[in-house]
Amino acid sequence: MSEMDTRQNTSNEDGMDRLLRQSMAAPVPSLRHDFDQRLMRELRRSEQPLDRYGRILFLGYGLVSVVVSAVVMHSQGLGWGFVSGTILAPLGVVAIAHAAWRTRHARIHAIHHSQ
Amino acid sequence: MALALEESDAQLVTRAQSGDEQAFAELVRRHSALVFRLAVSILGKEFVPEAEDVTQEVFLKVHHAIRSFRGESEFRSWIYRIAFNKAVNLKARVRFRSPHADETVLEDLAAPEPGAERQMQTAQRDRAVAECMGTLPEVYQSALRLYYWLGAGIGEVAESLGVPENTVKSYLHRARQLLRSMLKERGYSCE
Repeated sequence: MSEMDTRQNTSNEDGMDRLLRQSMAAPVPSLRHDFDQRLMRELRRSEQPLDRYGRILFLGYGLVSVVVSAVVMHSQGLGWGFVSGTILAPLGVVAIAHAAWRTRHARIHAIHHSQ
Repeated sequence: MALALEESDAQLVTRAQSGDEQAFAELVRRHSALVFRLAVSILGKEFVPEAEDVTQEVFLKVHHAIRSFRGESEFRSWIYRIAFNKAVNLKARVRFRSPHADETVLEDLAAPEPGAERQMQTAQRDRAVAECMGTLPEVYQSALRLYYWLGAGIGEVAESLGVPENTVKSYLHRARQLLRSMLKERGYSCE
């Protein structure tokens, strides 16, 4: 590349640089000053457990589905013992997993506080 | 708060992972402005409210997924990647929606001043630049807006886009070259 080409390229680059600076000049936006507070409020809201009505509805749905499942399984000729086992075993697994998670969580918390 | 300022992101993340809300709030305070700048650099100046929504969504997602963050990459790289993806996805959705009207443009049209012709030419040129920019790859557009509009340095652009500084320089160089040839085709001189 000759010196003239290099100079031409530099001039083009400078020209584009100037043009972009002029063309894109606009007020710089920023987040609303209360963004952090609004976000933390939104987080607390999304973390809230089900309200009283939701809990009753959820519990009712669970109970009805368990009863219906038990009746259907029994009507297919399965014994009540087996039916109870198939319903209680998964519940037991969930309870054990939840307890394990809580223990791990408490241990992490204890390590953090001891540091 | 002074204690929180001394802590590294990694320490705050560990605390946030064990449910410390203050630690998470400090992470938000540290990174929200840059996440917003990245979102706005992708979406453009017509979609500032959407960029704020993206920023909120990013932190909601980060809060939800923070326990699964294993620290294999830096926390800030992780959130910038989430922000980039969310903003690009949103941009694809809002591409055909009319942007928020800029009231100053309406005022300018309502009250022509001396030199109005020159103003109109400038406005046309700016529109051509914006249209040509819209055809560039997302990372080029974002780099250009961060650098020329938001006044970010090469280092900040590199950090936001998760690439080395030399790559940013090459993005900017290539973007300028492409824009120059596109504008030349439309009859605009850039020298």
